[in-house]
Amino acid sequence: MRIPLRAVGVFALAALTLTACGSSKTPETASTQPAATLTIWADDQRSAALKPFAETFGKANHVDVQVQAVSKDLQTNYVTAAQSGKGPDIVVGAHDWIGNLVQNGTIDPIQLPDSQKSAFADVAVKAVTFNGQLYGVPYAIENLALIRNTDLAPTAPATVEDLVAAGKALKDSGKVSNIMSLQVGQNGDAYHIYPLFSSAGGYLFGTKPNGDYDPADLGVDKPASVEAFKKIAALGEKGAGALTRSVNSDNAIPTFTGGKTPFLISGPWAVADIKKAGIKYDITPIPPFAGGKPAQPFVGVQAFYVASKGKSKALANEFITNYLTKPDLQVALYQTNPRPPALTAAMDQVKGSDPDIEKWLTASKGGAVLPAIPAMAAVWDPFGKAEAAIVGGADVPATLTGASKTITDAISK
Amino acid sequence: MTNTYLRGLVVKVGVLGLALALAVYAAFPLAAAHAWGWLAVLVVVTGLIFAIYLSPRPVPAKYLVPGVLFLLAFQVIPVLYTVATAFTNYGDGHRGTKQDAITAVQSSSVQRVPGSAEYALSVALDDGGLKFLLLSPDGKAFAGDAQGLHELGAGAVTVTAGRISAADGYQLLDLGRATQRNDEVLAFTVPTPDGAIRAAGLTRAYTGLATRFYDAGCDCVTDRGTGARWFADERTGEFVGRGGTEGEHLAQGWKVSVGLDNFARVLTDARIAGPFLKTLVWNLGFAVGSVLVTFALGLACALALQADRLRGRGIYRVLLVLPYAMPSFAMLLVWRDLFNQDFGLINRVTGLHVDWFGTPWTARLAVIGVQLWLGYPYMFLVATGALQAIPREMAEAAAIDGATTAQRFRRVTLPLLLVALTPLLISSFAFNFNNFNAIYLTTEGAPFPPGNSSIGATDLLITYTYRLAFGGSGAQFGFAAALSVYIFAIVAVISVIGFRRSRKQEEVYA
Amino acid sequence: MTARTIAWVRRTGWRHGVGVLAVAFSLFPIVFVVSAALNPVGSLSSTGLIPASAGLGNFADLFRKTDFAHWYLNSVLIAGIAAAAGVFLSILAAYAFSRMRFRGRRAGLVSLLLIQMFPQFLSVVTIYLIFAGVGDFYPALGLDSPWGLMLLYLGGALGVNTWLMKGFLDTVPKELDESAVIDGASHAQIFFRVTLPLVAPILAVTGLLGFIATINEVLLANVFLHSDGAKTLAVGLYGLVADQRNANFGMFCAGSLLTAIPTVVVFQALQRYIVSGLTTGAVKG
Repeated sequence: MRIPLRAVGVFALAALTLTACGSSKTPETASTQPAATLTIWADDQRSAALKPFAETFGKANHVDVQVQAVSKDLQTNYVTAAQSGKGPDIVVGAHDWIGNLVQNGTIDPIQLPDSQKSAFADVAVKAVTFNGQLYGVPYAIENLALIRNTDLAPTAPATVEDLVAAGKALKDSGKVSNIMSLQVGQNGDAYHIYPLFSSAGGYLFGTKPNGDYDPADLGVDKPASVEAFKKIAALGEKGAGALTRSVNSDNAIPTFTGGKTPFLISGPWAVADIKKAGIKYDITPIPPFAGGKPAQPFVGVQAFYVASKGKSKALANEFITNYLTKPDLQVALYQTNPRPPALTAAMDQVKGSDPDIEKWLTASKGGAVLPAIPAMAAVWDPFGKAEAAIVGGADVPATLTGASKTITDAISK
Repeated sequence: MTNTYLRGLVVKVGVLGLALALAVYAAFPLAAAHAWGWLAVLVVVTGLIFAIYLSPRPVPAKYLVPGVLFLLAFQVIPVLYTVATAFTNYGDGHRGTKQDAITAVQSSSVQRVPGSAEYALSVALDDGGLKFLLLSPDGKAFAGDAQGLHELGAGAVTVTAGRISAADGYQLLDLGRATQRNDEVLAFTVPTPDGAIRAAGLTRAYTGLATRFYDAGCDCVTDRGTGARWFADERTGEFVGRGGTEGEHLAQGWKVSVGLDNFARVLTDARIAGPFLKTLVWNLGFAVGSVLVTFALGLACALALQADRLRGRGIYRVLLVLPYAMPSFAMLLVWRDLFNQDFGLINRVTGLHVDWFGTPWTARLAVIGVQLWLGYPYMFLVATGALQAIPREMAEAAAIDGATTAQRFRRVTLPLLLVALTPLLISSFAFNFNNFNAIYLTTEGAPFPPGNSSIGATDLLITYTYRLAFGGSGAQFGFAAALSVYIFAIVAVISVIGFRRSRKQEEVYA
Repeated sequence: MTARTIAWVRRTGWRHGVGVLAVAFSLFPIVFVVSAALNPVGSLSSTGLIPASAGLGNFADLFRKTDFAHWYLNSVLIAGIAAAAGVFLSILAAYAFSRMRFRGRRAGLVSLLLIQMFPQFLSVVTIYLIFAGVGDFYPALGLDSPWGLMLLYLGGALGVNTWLMKGFLDTVPKELDESAVIDGASHAQIFFRVTLPLVAPILAVTGLLGFIATINEVLLANVFLHSDGAKTLAVGLYGLVADQRNANFGMFCAGSLLTAIPTVVVFQALQRYIVSGLTTGAVKG
C-alpha cells in the first residue's frame, strides 16, 4: 500500500517541479517569435476556413497570423479580453454585436473609400453601419427561406395556407411525420417566427420618419400583433399542428434531412446537411398568409471587426480593408459554409456554380435588416417565450401583454 | 531512528530549498517591472513559509499553508473582488475608466473628410524618425510628418504597383516591421488644412477628422458638426446630453461606484421580489431532492455490490460509474433530447406522449431524474469508499450480538456512514443549489407561465439571476453580483445550520 | 425453485439484480451516444438506440479534422497533475482539521465550503483579469497556458474533497497515530508513514473525483485556452457542437466516448484501493 502512495506524492512534487521548469523555458521561445503577430478570434467553423488564408497573408508579409477559435461565448470573452488589453487584433461575428462592442469601446470604425464600399451588397454595408460609421467589413449575408423537399412537394406553395394543406396531406397519407419544420423549442425562437409574424401583420417596433426603429413604439401587444399571433396559434399545437415546441434548433434540420417533413424554414447553414443527406431540394421565399403582408425574414451579416486596443491594430486594419475586400477570401469562406458572400465580385464568382446563392438573395428581398439597436436585446427572450406559450395553446392577448410589459421594463432600465 | 531523522531533514531542506528557488525565480520579473508591492507580497509569503516550516512545533499551519495559499489566490480574492463590483455599475457600457470612454468616443467619431483624397501609403524611416510616404491618386509623391506634407520630386521615388517602393533618403518598412511600430503609426498624423492624414491600415491613408472631442474645462464632449454637447455625470458614469440632446446619453460610459443601489434594486424590483420566495422553495426542493435521490440510489448500489465474493463486481462498478465519466455538459444535452415530446427516446420507448418540459411538475421530475443519473455514480463512489472505512470488527461484533442485517445497517453502518458523509451531503446540496448547467442545458427554466418570461417552473435562483443579469441589454455584473450576495447569504445560513447538526453527530460518534 | 437457489438469491442473487438494473440505467443514454458515434450520418433526432449503419468514420474524422490528439494529451496531463497535486494539498489540510485543535478550525471548515458556493460564472471576469496580470510577469503561467489553468484548478483543491477526507479521517481510530507517537516518530513521519496509508481508499476516491471534475471543466478552460494546440477535450468538444450541432454530432459523440476512457482507466487503476478495506490495508501495509 505504501508504494503507490509515495508514487502519488512524487507525482505531485513532479507536477510542481514541472510547473517551475515550464515557466523557465518561456523567455527563449518568446525571443524567436516573428517580427509581428496578428491574432484573429472567430468561432470554430470560421477559424478553420480562415487559417489557410491567414498563413498566406502571414508568409507574404513576414508576420505571424494566429487564428484562434473561441467555442463558447465569443462575444463576452472578446469584450472582457479586449477591455483588459489581452484581446485579439480582429474578431469575427454577427453584425448585431456592434451595438454592444461599441458601447464597451472595444471596436473602432473602419475607413473604406466609397469605391471599396460600393463593392459590397447594399444590405451588408447598411447592416454594419452604426451611428453613421462603418464598424465591420462584411463577408456573408444570411436570411431565412423556405426549403422544400422537391420529391415530396414538387411545387412551391404560394401561401402559408397552401403550405399547411400540402404538408397535412402528406402527413395524413403517412409519408411524413411533420407538416413543416420551423424551430420553436421549449422557449421559442423570435428569429425564426418573425417572417410569419410580419406576414400576419404584427410588428416589433414602429419606425421613425428616417426609417430607424423607434424603441418608444413597441408593437408586441398592439391589436395588429395580437391578430398576427392568433394566426400563428391556429398553426400551433391546438390548431393545425404545423408548429410544435418539440421542433427545436437541434432537430429542425435533421427532421427535414431525414425526409420526415416536406418543408423547412431555415437559413444557408442548413444546406450542407441537406446535400449530405442527398435530399432533392429547392429554395424559395417564405410564403405569406393568404391576403397578408409579405413574409419578411431578418437579414443578418457576418463581419470582421478591428479591436480598438489591439497590439497590431494597424496591421489588423490592413488585413481587413485591403485583404478581406478581395474576392478570394470571401469565396473561400463561402466554400466552407455556403452563405452568400457580401462582396459582389465574390458573389458573382460563386453564382455560376451554385444556383442556391441567387435563391437566397431572392428570399432576402424585402427582408428587414436585423436590428442592432440595444433595445432589440430586450425583445428576443420575452418575445420567444410568448411565441412558445402561444404555439402551446396559451391565451394570446394575456401572453402578449405580459411579454410587452417585460420588454418595456427592460428597455427603460 | 537517526537514519529516518536524517532523511526527514534532507527532505525538509530540499523542499524549502525548492520553495526558495521558486521565490527567487519569481522575484526577477517583478523587480524588472518595478512592481515593488508584489515583490513585498512575495517576500512576506516566502518568509512566512520559512517561519512555519522551520518551527519545531507541530503547528497546524504546516499542513494548511500549501492549500490555503492557492485558495486565497484563486478563489477568495476573485470572490471578494467580484463582491466589490456589487457596489458599482460595472457591466456592458460601463466596463472601463472614464479615460477609456473618452478615447472610445473620440476614436469612434473619426470620419473621412468628404471629397478628400485617398493616398497610397508606405511607412518609412529617415533620420528624423517615422515618415509617411504618400502617393496621391493623380500620381504625385509626398512625404508627410507632424509638420505637414511636402512634395517629393518625381525622380526621387520609385513607384511599384501603385505604391512608393523606394525613395532617396528613406528606408521603407515592410508590414512586419511597420507593425512593430504599431502605436507610433496609429498616433501619426499629418496635418492638412481640412483635417489630418491618418493611416487606414498600412498601405492606405485618408484625411480624417474626429467629429467629437472632449474638453476637460466643461467636462463635456462636443460634436464639431452640430455643436451638441454631452456632460459627464459621475453618478451614472455617462455623458448626458443637455440642450438639443436632452435625455440622450453617449453609448460609451465608465465604471463608477453606486453605493448600495444594486442591493436596493434587488429588493424593490417587482420582477425579483415577487417570485423570489416561490423560486427559493423550488430551489431548495431541487437541491435536497437531488441529494437525497442520488444518495439513496448510490448507497443502495454500494451496499449491494459490497459483498466480497460477488462475481463480476469490478465490471458492475466500472459500468455503473460510466455516467460520471462521460462529459456532463454533453450528457445534459443528450438528456434534453431524450425528453423531447415528439422525437425523444423516452416517449418513443415507453409509448407515452408526455410533454416533459411543458408542464411544471413533469419538468421538475425530469430535471431531478437527470441529476439522479448524473450524480448517483458519485454517491456510489463515496459511499463505497466510506463503507471501507467502517472497521469490519464493529459490524462483526454487532452480528455476534445477534442483530439482523437491517438492524446492523441502521445502528452501526448508517450512523458511521453519516459521520463521514454528512459534510459531503451538505456540500453536494450546496453544489446542487447553484447547479447552473443542470437547468441551463436542459429546460432553460421552462415551462414559463404564459406572459411571464422572467421566471420558469424549473428556474433556480442562479439561472434566474443569470437571465436577469445577462438576458436584457448586455451584462450587468454589478447587479448580478449584488443578487449573488443575497443568494450566497441564504445558502450560507442553510449550510451553517446543517453544519451544526453534523457537528453534534461528530461529537457523538467521533 | 430449490432451497439452494433461494438461498443464493438471498445471499448474492439480489446483488446481481441491483447491479444489472443499475448498469442498465447507467448505460441507457450512453448506448444512444455509442450509436450516434458509430452512425456515419449521425444527427440527433435520426439516431435511435441501434444505428442504421455503423462505421468508425466519426472517430477517424476527429483525428483528421481537429486537433483531437493534442486536446487529449492536454486534458490527461492537466487533469492528472491537478488531481494528484490537489489530493495532496487537500489531505494535508484535512489532516490538520481532523487531528489538531486550533483556533479558527470550525470557521475555517465552514469557510472552505462557503467559498465554493459563490457562483463561478461571475468571478470568471475577475479570474481573467488576475491571470492577464500574472501573464505580464510570468508568460508561462498566464492566459492561454495549461500551467496557469492548472494553478487555477489547484485553488479549488481545498473544498468539498477536504471535507470528505476529514470525515474519513474522523472514522480512523486516533489510537493508531498515538501509538506511533509513543514510538518516538515525528509528526511528519506519522503523517506520511501511518496516516496516509490508512486513508488510501479516500485518496483514491477523491483523486478520481478530482480527475473527473477537471477533465469535464468547460467554463474556465474556455476562457483560458484559445490556441488550438492548448485546448482541453471539454473545450474542443464543446466547439464541435457549439454552432453546428447536427453536422458534428457523430464526431462529438465519438469524442465524448474517447474522453471517458482515461477516466475509466484511472478508475480501474484506483479501484483496488477504493475497494480494499481500510483495516486490511493497515494490517498488510
